[in-house]
Amino acid sequence: MQDRHLRPDEIELLLDGEEGFGVAPLRAHVRSCASCHAELEEARALLLALDTLPDFAPSVGFADRVMSQVQVFEPWHAAALTTARQFVPATRPARIAAGFAAAVGSGLLTAGATWAVARADIGFLLAQVGLDRVREQAGAAASDVATTVLGQPGLDAMLGGSAGMTAAAVGGFVAVVGMGVVGLRALATSSRRAR
Amino acid sequence: MPNPDELATLPDADVVRLAQQGRELAFRELVRRYERPVFSLVFRMVRDRELAEDLSQDAFVKVLNHIDRYSPEFKFSSWLFKIANNVAIDHLRRRRIDTISMHGSPHASTASEIEASALNLEDEQESALDELESKELGSAIERAIARLRPEYRACIMLRHVEGRSYEEIAATLDLPLGTVKTYIHRARHELRKALEPLRE
Repeated sequence: MQDRHLRPDEIELLLDGEEGFGVAPLRAHVRSCASCHAELEEARALLLALDTLPDFAPSVGFADRVMSQVQVFEPWHAAALTTARQFVPATRPARIAAGFAAAVGSGLLTAGATWAVARADIGFLLAQVGLDRVREQAGAAASDVATTVLGQPGLDAMLGGSAGMTAAAVGGFVAVVGMGVVGLRALATSSRRAR
Repeated sequence: MPNPDELATLPDADVVRLAQQGRELAFRELVRRYERPVFSLVFRMVRDRELAEDLSQDAFVKVLNHIDRYSPEFKFSSWLFKIANNVAIDHLRRRRIDTISMHGSPHASTASEIEASALNLEDEQESALDELESKELGSAIERAIARLRPEYRACIMLRHVEGRSYEEIAATLDLPLGTVKTYIHRARHELRKALEPLRE
C-alpha cells in the first residue's frame, strides 16, 4: 500500500477498471484513505453524468434537407434485379405455374439447340450455297460497271490481254479521270474568281 | 425491398448494402439513425445550433454521396463520426484563422468599416454563447465541456455520450490508442477541476 494520495492519472486507471500489477496497491490505498476514496467517488459521479448527457435533435426536416443533396444512384445490376422481380408472380400457385412453364420453355429451347447442333452439316451446306450466290451477284455487278466505263471492246481487251496491258489500261483510265477532276476544279476556281 | 419498419430492425451493414443498391428508404433510415448523435457531436464541438445543422448536413451528404466507397470491414457509424468530426474540426480551424482578424475585417477600407465588422463578430459570438448556455446546454458540465480543447471534446463525446471504446475512437479519429487515452484522461481531469467550485 502506498503512503501518498493518488495522482490524477492513477484515478483514471481506477476509473477505466484497469487490471494489473500496479493497480492493486492503488485500490488498497483507496480503501484506507478517505480523501482519495471521496475523490474517486466524485470522479465516478462525473462519469455517470457524462454517460447520461442527452443527445440533441436537429430541426424538423433535417433528413429532407440532407436527401435533397444526395444523389441516389441505382447500379445497373440492382435495376436489372428489380425489373426481373416485377415478373415474378405474387401468389405461390402462380409462382409454381410460372416455374413449370419456364422449365418446359427452357427444355424445348435446349432440345431445339441440340437438334440444330446435330444437324450442323445442313447449316454448312446452306451457308455455302448462300455464299456462292453472293459471289456470283458481286462478279456480275462488277462486270456491268466495267462494261459501262470501258465499253465491251475495252473490257474484252483487258480480259484477253496480258497483265502489262491491263495495268496500262487501268493506269490510263485513272490518269484520264484525274485530269478530268483537276480540269473541273480549275474551271470552278476561275469562274468563282471571275464572279 | 423492406418497408421502413423492417429497415429499422436491420443492422447498419444491411441498410448500407441497400443504400448501395440505390434504395432511397435505406438512405433515409441511415439519416434517421444517426441525425441525433451526429448533430449532438457537431453541436457540442461548434456550440452554434444553426452552424451545427449545416455542418452535420455536410457530413451526411459527403458520406451518403460516397456510400459506394464504404468498406464493410469498418463500422458505418465510425466512418460517419469521422467525417462529422473532421467537418467540425475544419470549421473550428477556419474560425480560429478568422479570429485573428476579430478586430476588423481585412477587407474593410475605412475605420468605420473596421469597427463595424469587429462589432458584428463579437455580437454574433456573444449571442451564440448566451443562447447556448442559457437555453440549450445550460448545465455546468456542458459549459465545462465547451471549454475543453476540440480534440479532447471529440474524444469525450465519443467515449461518454456515444459509448465508443478507446479502440473505436482511435480508429474514428485516426489517432494512436495511447493518444486517445491521454486525451480522455486529461479531459476528465480538466472537467473535474472545472466542476470543483460547484462541490464546494
